[in-house]
Amino acid sequence: MKITMRRFFLAVLFFVLVTAGLSLSQEAYAEVPTFTVGWSVYAGWNPYFYMQKSGILKKWADKYGIVIKVQRFDYAASLDSFVAKNIDACTMTNMEALDMPAAAGVDSTALIVGDYSNGNDAVLVRNGLTFDRLSSQRIMLVQKTVSEYLLERAMVINGQQAQLPKLRLINTSDSDIVPAFMNNASNTTVVTWKPLVSQILADKSVHSIFDSSKIPGEILDLLVVRSEVLNRPDGSGVKFAKAITGAWYETIQNLTGSGATQMQALKISASASGDSVDSYREQLKTTYLFAKPKDAADFATGPLLKQKMELVRQFCFKHGLLGKDIKSVDDVAIAYPDGSVQGRKDRVRLRFNPTYMQAAQQGKL
Amino acid sequence: MLSCVLFAVCIGLYIQTSVKRHHENSEDRVVPNARQLMSGIHSSVLEPAEESDYIAPDNASKWELFRHSMIWTDTVASGRRFLISLVLLVPAVLLALHIGLFPYFGAGFLRFVLFFDKIVALSLLPILFIVFGIDEWSKIALIVIGVAPTMILDVTQMVKAVPREQIVKAFTLDANDFDVAYRVIFRQVLPQVINSLRLNLKPMMLFLFAGEMIASSDGLAYRIAIMRRHMGMDVILPYVLWVAFLLFFIDLALRVLNRRMHPWFQS
Repeated sequence: MKITMRRFFLAVLFFVLVTAGLSLSQEAYAEVPTFTVGWSVYAGWNPYFYMQKSGILKKWADKYGIVIKVQRFDYAASLDSFVAKNIDACTMTNMEALDMPAAAGVDSTALIVGDYSNGNDAVLVRNGLTFDRLSSQRIMLVQKTVSEYLLERAMVINGQQAQLPKLRLINTSDSDIVPAFMNNASNTTVVTWKPLVSQILADKSVHSIFDSSKIPGEILDLLVVRSEVLNRPDGSGVKFAKAITGAWYETIQNLTGSGATQMQALKISASASGDSVDSYREQLKTTYLFAKPKDAADFATGPLLKQKMELVRQFCFKHGLLGKDIKSVDDVAIAYPDGSVQGRKDRVRLRFNPTYMQAAQQGKL
Repeated sequence: MLSCVLFAVCIGLYIQTSVKRHHENSEDRVVPNARQLMSGIHSSVLEPAEESDYIAPDNASKWELFRHSMIWTDTVASGRRFLISLVLLVPAVLLALHIGLFPYFGAGFLRFVLFFDKIVALSLLPILFIVFGIDEWSKIALIVIGVAPTMILDVTQMVKAVPREQIVKAFTLDANDFDVAYRVIFRQVLPQVINSLRLNLKPMMLFLFAGEMIASSDGLAYRIAIMRRHMGMDVILPYVLWVAFLLFFIDLALRVLNRRMHPWFQS
């Protein structure tokens, strides 16, 4: 009897100690600002996986005394989480930055302009079909994404603007678009992105008639952070911006460098999407990486960005992507580094902020 | 009464979340407020879909507008697929009747259906695309392949549960196979079959949604998939409620029909 009592007390004591220890460690944990970055599989974003695996991210986070977590999502889910404020920063294209968080009233800041699609997205046709005959065909694509944007730009550039309303689009999930297109020769046209493009092009009767290298700088891949996180009064948001930007450019330096480090970076980045190194290299060829912070900062501060964003925001508005309540394209405004604003000044929702890319350029991170 | 309370609690929670989120961000789209919902309902009920080429004349009546509205065209497209697959389930039920009743049918089909039932129909999609193309038939096939085996097994059990004596008796009264199958057994199990169908309405709708989300250019799930791309919850929520209402209505209609047709049946 005595022994069981003693055991019981020991157990209680142990339990109390453990809970106390746990809550203590949680308290200690809560003092360190923690940030979560969501990313999804794409040639220009896979390096985030390497950034985490290689310890580069931890190195930079430690330097600024914060904790940065990196989490992989499906693309749509990552945007949902970002808008729902479950994560602090997220990778996305310039188009989604405008029509998801910005249009939903979440003030967002583009921290890093990572790359632009330079052939990653393509319009593929069977049997030498041409743009003037597209309107009679069924076109498979994921609607309301950069695929539809690419298709519209392709039609306009090829002088087929008048045919746009007649296109027969079939909204096809990207997870099934390859088998759905390949397995039936009566499907003639598909718009999609790499690596799906490469899989479809394995069929010799299919070839590309337009790709994003013909509209350079229009499909941008960004790292976007919520402006309220960046502007936190305690300054932790700025630390986060510095840490993640520093980590990013070190990552890219390794990726575009040479020797064993580069091989390692390529290998891990490729494994992020289950690709082989060769396949990933091929995807990188059609991805214009702003490898040097200077390139990215110059692009973000240059006049070209405004022209490209103008095309994108008009597209988003025309397709109702800015929401039912938005009656004018100017109601979701974009602010640029030089202080100019596209749209109404009191409704700025998306900001391009080159501060941290410039700091990286000057080696001040 | 008690269920009314639960409804009220749900609505209350929704409103609370919505108010809280709108307090933080007046343009929040994740949990739309009443005004956003109203404008969402208005545009889905009275405005044509973006891809539709219909342009309303200036003096168009409400009815005219509704006939070309998003929700109507989508409901017609989805409803057609749903009804066709419903009709295609009839042969499945008849097959089940034969499997349950006649040993040689049972020997031929039962084990196959038993196995086939365990196949996850969604994973067959690439094959369905090859066989049926990406138009209507692949979606209908997905529903039928997904639901029919379960129905067949269910109905087979019902048929087997009919007392053996009845069958023997019918045969002794000079009934032939046809009489026994359709005039003795089928009539008895029909109310149970309808009940089984009622339970399968939701799986049917799930498969329909899965099919429409994967490849389509119209339909209720197509619209939801498109709206998801820019968080158009103001349209998605009315659509979800509308689908729930439709299913509830079909279920109710089947229940009433069942009671009218088979007043003797106690479930």
